[in-house]
Amino acid sequence: MVAPIAVYAIAISFYPIIYSLAISFFRYRLTDPSQTRSFIGLDNYVRAINDEGARTAVINTLVFVVGAVALEFALGLGLALLLWRDTRLNKIAAALLLIPISLTPLVSGLVWRAMLNADFGSIGWYLANFLGQREGLTAQSTTAMLAVIIVDAWQWTPLVMLVLLAGLKSLPVEPFEAAQVDGAGRWATVRHLAVPMLAPTIVLALLIRTMDAFKLFDVVFAMTQGGPGLTTTVLNFDVYKQGLVFFDMGYAAALSNILLVMIGIFAVIYIGVAGRQRREGLRVAAVRARA
Amino acid sequence: MREPRRVALARSALVVAALVFFLFPFFWLLQTSFKPPIDVFSAPPKWTFGPTLANYAATFRDFDVPLFLRNSTLIALGSTALSMALGVPAAYAIARSRSAGLRSFANVFLIIRMIPPVAMLLPVYLLMRDLRVLGTYQAVIAINTVLDSAFVVWMLQSTFRQVPTEIEDAALCDGCSRFGAFWRVALPLARPGLIAAALFCVLFSWNDFIFALLLTSPSTKTLPVALLATFSSQDIGWGELAVMSQVTVLPVVAVAIYLNRNLVRGLTTGAE
Repeated sequence: MVAPIAVYAIAISFYPIIYSLAISFFRYRLTDPSQTRSFIGLDNYVRAINDEGARTAVINTLVFVVGAVALEFALGLGLALLLWRDTRLNKIAAALLLIPISLTPLVSGLVWRAMLNADFGSIGWYLANFLGQREGLTAQSTTAMLAVIIVDAWQWTPLVMLVLLAGLKSLPVEPFEAAQVDGAGRWATVRHLAVPMLAPTIVLALLIRTMDAFKLFDVVFAMTQGGPGLTTTVLNFDVYKQGLVFFDMGYAAALSNILLVMIGIFAVIYIGVAGRQRREGLRVAAVRARA
Repeated sequence: MREPRRVALARSALVVAALVFFLFPFFWLLQTSFKPPIDVFSAPPKWTFGPTLANYAATFRDFDVPLFLRNSTLIALGSTALSMALGVPAAYAIARSRSAGLRSFANVFLIIRMIPPVAMLLPVYLLMRDLRVLGTYQAVIAINTVLDSAFVVWMLQSTFRQVPTEIEDAALCDGCSRFGAFWRVALPLARPGLIAAALFCVLFSWNDFIFALLLTSPSTKTLPVALLATFSSQDIGWGELAVMSQVTVLPVVAVAIYLNRNLVRGLTTGAE
């Protein structure tokens, strides 16, 4: 039953990878009148290493991924713990928090761009007139990345919350009752009981978000177009710019392969951690079964 | 365990504060779509105004909104149906497989989801051009299906692993075929997970912007692509943009909230 999807997925998704690997060794610009492809070996990669813009994009990507995922995790865990208890308000809140998740990312980018606008934005105007952010968060090179991170956190914290909440609700109740009988405090219960038991779910939530954070595009496209300067140009946006704005296909392919390697390193780490956790989970289950 | 009144109150206050932050942009969108055009750019921002349908009238006059709605719906439903048809049996087969090789094959689908869409853009464009399907629904559905079905397999194989095998074994003993066990036993038991996976597929394809931008023609444009056109034309204000955004986000927001119970349950089975 795996065969149809495997053939289909591999044909359409590995074809682009192989194509982009091949084309990255060529000089191939759609703006050349002759449109010739000439083999240049590793030149595109050498160019990327020496390219100030590409280096900035790599750093921006890392800053964004770490910043956004950390913020989303911290807020998401806090929210999940807040909504853990089954009250009416909490149920309504959990349902309403689906709104940011289902909003089209392009729309979130545009909406936040308007709201943060210093001249008329319903948040930006107040920031400009009372907190001295005269040009608006998205137009200042010092705050533009922060603005992008805030928008991403606004949109995806609820997803992290939802995954963690689902995990919390599936935890067995006995250990928590035991902790209460033993007189453990609220904070100690969360720190020493809920969080460790939640570890597999936490890894899953971090995986989902990190994977998508590397692929950030729509919000940058709608909000800042990578600017001001290169301050919000993440690697994924740089690939788009080189390929579909400057039509330098060989170089764009080389950059996208660098991004793929970055994601690949992360994937290997994740698969390692998840594998170790599965084994540890089994051990915990075994200990619990014996006790 | 019961909470002291003070703690419960503080908790509710925090929940309400979080709701205000997370819902404000949506509220802003709704508010802007009903604002008279001159009030949209007023400084300081106007919070009270006489609501008007002028922006709605203008948007439906200037743009073929029903066409975009139809395109988005067809593409989202087509991609979801195909992704589920391909992904669900594969997820089941992987979950029930005894071979370690096949089970680690699940990671391949994870890797597919990791490929940045921008990296796939040009090759996919050229592929679709060579297949002569540029600008058709099929082109966008095909690429969405690759990404969404990979997600379905990856998410549902852990869901199916949660479904106890004993019931299926019993069914098999009673003369049910393997396919019967899958269709009559495993599928109904995994229902919340299936609904959650399908909802995510709808969200992914409905909200996709970059593939639709490249692969659709004026007559097959989806809502996000049309929205960008609204934004780029100079004489269009935020009012009309807000209306287009409303039309784009309302259907999926409604579906997501309607299915929210399944979503939480579906994620629970998927998370372990």
